[in-house]
Amino acid sequence: MDLLDLIDLTQSVVDGVLFGATYALIGIGFTLIFGVMHKINLSYAAASIGATYLSLIVVTAVPTPLVYAFAALMGGVLGWLVYLICFRFVPLNNPLATLMSTVGMLLAIEELISHLTYGMPQNYPALFGNTNFEIGPFFLRGDLIFVFALGCVAMIGLTVLLKRTRLGLATRAVAQQPVAAQLCGMSVNTTNASTFVIAGLLGGTAGAMAGAAIGVLSPLMTLPLTVKGLVVTVIGGLGSIPGAIIAGLVVGGAENLFQFLRGVSERDIYVMLLLFAFLVFRPGGLFAAPGGRD
Amino acid sequence: MDFYLGLAQVIGIHTLLGLSAWCVLHTGQVSIAQGAFFAIGAYTAGMLTSMWAMPLAVALAFGAVMAGLVAVAMGFPALRVKGLMLVVATTAFAEIVRLFFFNLKWRVQTPTGEVGPDGSLGFGGIRHFPANGWSTLDVNLLIWALVAAVMALLWWLDRSRVGTLWRAVGEDELAAQSAGINLTATKVSAFGIGGCIAGLAGGLFAHYATHIEHHNFTILLATFAIAYPILGGLASLAGTLLAVIFIQGFLLEGLRFIGEWRSLLFGVLIVVVMLVRPNGFLSRALFRSRHA
Repeated sequence: MDLLDLIDLTQSVVDGVLFGATYALIGIGFTLIFGVMHKINLSYAAASIGATYLSLIVVTAVPTPLVYAFAALMGGVLGWLVYLICFRFVPLNNPLATLMSTVGMLLAIEELISHLTYGMPQNYPALFGNTNFEIGPFFLRGDLIFVFALGCVAMIGLTVLLKRTRLGLATRAVAQQPVAAQLCGMSVNTTNASTFVIAGLLGGTAGAMAGAAIGVLSPLMTLPLTVKGLVVTVIGGLGSIPGAIIAGLVVGGAENLFQFLRGVSERDIYVMLLLFAFLVFRPGGLFAAPGGRD
Repeated sequence: MDFYLGLAQVIGIHTLLGLSAWCVLHTGQVSIAQGAFFAIGAYTAGMLTSMWAMPLAVALAFGAVMAGLVAVAMGFPALRVKGLMLVVATTAFAEIVRLFFFNLKWRVQTPTGEVGPDGSLGFGGIRHFPANGWSTLDVNLLIWALVAAVMALLWWLDRSRVGTLWRAVGEDELAAQSAGINLTATKVSAFGIGGCIAGLAGGLFAHYATHIEHHNFTILLATFAIAYPILGGLASLAGTLLAVIFIQGFLLEGLRFIGEWRSLLFGVLIVVVMLVRPNGFLSRALFRSRHA
């Protein structure tokens, strides 16, 4: 491999890591909900893409940054609706029940999107699409940098929310010990619902980021994003937010690395094998949450 | 009439698929890999009859055994994790298998031309049924005879020691382990038998469809597979059959008049059943008072 190949390789890995911020946000959403409820919300990525689609309603009326904000807002609303429909009134002691109800929601959202848009991909606005930075032999796309920065802002915002506010305190308390939290006067249902709203805000942002980086929205994005989000959650360790961030960037980079080495049709095989290796050799993930969880 | 015979074939194949998921669900595990075992059976059986002109019975049996072996091989590492992690692990496995067949290219010359899996173009020309003069009714009889055989086998297994072990592990792993049950052996046996049944269903599907491609074996198929027994209720085999007839016969075909919107109903149906009868439609509580 000569120098030119090496530059191309580094370039595609860097692009992948920048786009990996999207996976990190989706992974955080899965992990947050797992943290408080010990349940996986499989409809999460679909709801996030759904929120991004909803933000297309205002795309002609307001400037692009507000479109992204609207996507995040819709993500919060959808998160609350998903909680209400798939979790609130379903018996939580039956592990199959919420799994199936969220799968049903995932399929319903995907179908709804394809029907309402007649299966046509929709254009999504990008910021700094024409700005590029050249650093030595490398070439950084402005829109990817923006997506990465937006992801970082969302992650910092989440950390502040969890560590500095009363709502964050309640979320962490319920995650640690729901019964004790309830005895201290916190409403578990309200906290669960607000966690879904927070995760939804992140999901809407992630959907907008994916849309901005790819340039189009399509219902075909929901399943890959769900699978990648789950991969990130497991590699990072269920319930661990720093784990999800690092795993998201790693998966983004690895994806482009394998794409460079083996071509686009084979790349996901290797990403899945990476996950399998983690499951066999380190089932707790990079940062396993303390306490024996499954 | 042909339409109903065709529908009966689909229902039979999907019943086998649902029964394969029923085995695994009985041990309390959720596997998204049933679609992958289905794909392995479909490609193996299809390749044997079309590329090397093997008899159908050999091809179907080989496809089922192949899928069962892969299930056992995959079961050992995957069953180190359980619950939600197994869902993710089997999802990843299903994607690996689908992408493997997406990339698989293996063409051979036969007297009727070149056949074999052709990468993303799919695998066409599995023409064993038309080439040997099978009518739709014959195919139906074969499929439903196999469904009956598998159901009888599972009914017997459920009442034998194996079924007791499966249910004990499904109810409470810790208690089962304390009682001296080998968890790994129990789970892997359920995985293997489930894999065999899915492989058999896949072999039948390949010959029914004559053309298969990676799109047939997505996670959506695996979702259908686990949805049948869960919606029907794990307490009985009839629940799975009922759920397949309801979803394939009524929801997807019977409601054709409402147009494309009916595919939306599958997702909504799952959500509604989980809200109203979280243990499945034919769960035991149907005949008892809720507060008993």
